[in-house]
Amino acid sequence: MKELRLLIVDDVEDNRLVLHAICRKIDALQIQEATDGLEAIEKTVNWHPHIILMDVMMPNLDGFEASKVIKQKFPDTIIMIITAVVDPQMEVNMASIGVNAYLHKPIDKELVRFKLQNFAALVRSKEGDYTQLSSKKTLNPFCNDVRHYKIIFDIVDSEGMMDFGVWLLTRCEHNPMMRCSKVDLVVELFYALMQQVLKEYNILSIIIEESFEEIFLTMQLPHAISLKPTLAIIVEDLQHQCVVQANIVCVRLFLQTPSTTPSYEAVSEPLSPVIEVSSIPENGKGDEEIVILSEEKTTRHIDATEKELLRQSFVAKTPALEYVNDIGGDVLDEIRDLESLDNEWSERLAILESEPSLENIKSFVDGVLGVYVRAINNLFEFTALAYALSSLGAFMKGDAETIIEDASKMKVLVMLTEHLGSDLRAWRQHIFELQDATDIHYLDSSFFSSCMQIEQIIGNQNIDSDHDSDMEFF
Amino acid sequence: MAKRVIIVDDSRAVVATAELALDGLIQSGVIEFKSYLNPLELLNALENGSENFDLLISDVNMPEMNGLDLSRSIKSDERYKNKPIIILTTESSEQMKMTGKEIGVTGWMVKPFNDEKLVKSIKMILGV
Repeated sequence: MKELRLLIVDDVEDNRLVLHAICRKIDALQIQEATDGLEAIEKTVNWHPHIILMDVMMPNLDGFEASKVIKQKFPDTIIMIITAVVDPQMEVNMASIGVNAYLHKPIDKELVRFKLQNFAALVRSKEGDYTQLSSKKTLNPFCNDVRHYKIIFDIVDSEGMMDFGVWLLTRCEHNPMMRCSKVDLVVELFYALMQQVLKEYNILSIIIEESFEEIFLTMQLPHAISLKPTLAIIVEDLQHQCVVQANIVCVRLFLQTPSTTPSYEAVSEPLSPVIEVSSIPENGKGDEEIVILSEEKTTRHIDATEKELLRQSFVAKTPALEYVNDIGGDVLDEIRDLESLDNEWSERLAILESEPSLENIKSFVDGVLGVYVRAINNLFEFTALAYALSSLGAFMKGDAETIIEDASKMKVLVMLTEHLGSDLRAWRQHIFELQDATDIHYLDSSFFSSCMQIEQIIGNQNIDSDHDSDMEFF
Repeated sequence: MAKRVIIVDDSRAVVATAELALDGLIQSGVIEFKSYLNPLELLNALENGSENFDLLISDVNMPEMNGLDLSRSIKSDERYKNKPIIILTTESSEQMKMTGKEIGVTGWMVKPFNDEKLVKSIKMILGV
């Protein structure tokens, strides 16, 4: 993966250290620092960072002026403001010069990381970093005729290794037609390689391609690698099933015995259509890379970020009373002001149902959901809620045409979104007004889950998060 | 006779999505569906005998009362101790599932749920 350049601009050393520590955990980033606006401009001119994290109040030249100059000269540079200043007018001014995000201190590391990862994906998509993953071009050296989707594991740690291992073994178990007497060898080879590579580099990718008869597991390494003797023996044992070329190690697994005549009809259990949602854009088309292979329900896999937000657990329960006492001030007022949006939420939805149009979808998404997201983002604590609303908004805009054309879908969407509005009203009451919730995070994951559920219903998808979706009987 | 299925979840959106998932069973008269947003309200209705159920679907994290505590209370009542309860939650920690198992809940399903799998499990539990 191509490294992206990130510039951290803050006059306070401690803040730079905190941001540096947060960003260091993100893959494939080169990081430099600047201590004021002037130095930020100078480094932008000389080093061309893709993303800049910018403070506002700084000596010599403040973050607003510096951002203005940078955006004029380098409009594609992504600027994320991180400031202790709570000033709605400043926020508007920043937006007017093209600043991409505005976050408040104290720094919410998860939010910063989340935003950065999104921006990094955006930059990479613009730069066509994943053109090698085009469905028209295969990575595996065995077969050019593969299905129009790929599954990609970007592995950075042992957890990622486990995810891949579990996926592979599950895939084998669930496909009785899969015949590979040497799966154990493949697992051993890949695990050893992953361990070896992750010691030297921060990341490796495994790309899964499928034809009708075979699955190809391709490990893409940052550089060519020399195999240890034990691994060379495994590769030899795998014979024609494994190819090692420069920085590529590829293994093929047969979905049926190679001795039988391969034909699609012979596969008793056709592969489920898969939507790859891990936000790996292709040719800069972003979400358009999603390829639906069937008229039937598609499978909506839950990606790692979503899973993390859904399953996040807050070990220490924070009572609402305690939380509200701690925050106070402008942020609280902003949340209370959301009450004025309650009517608008219902009214714009009613208009949308009676007059379905792209304009009315945008009016609801930008004018209602967007305002909520900004207010919730300022609380820092409720990343899942903000993410859920943003995702729902993106889904509504992305699927606008289909939704507008289908009155029954629109009706269900409006009904469910109206319920989401009620849930948010109740959330505001329990947390900020009555302050009676024993845990301020009581709604977070559930709300996110509801938003995904709405995508499932309206987008005609089946949600599947590995085995999580099965009922576990006791 | 229709089986009475109750869902308790503080989120109206979750209740609505569950109702949509079970719409086929409701429309065909196989089940009757009732929802509670407040677990205390359900508990009260069960205690005074104005409510009953053949299957209870409960969330875990609710502002008024935790769904596992609710299940424990219901299971401690002779009238309901053999009635099936399934937990429908975003929580998936083994420790929590273990608590559910100890309380005597029948099953555990994580949200977002797969419509077909929910319906299939419910049909299996109710024997319909």
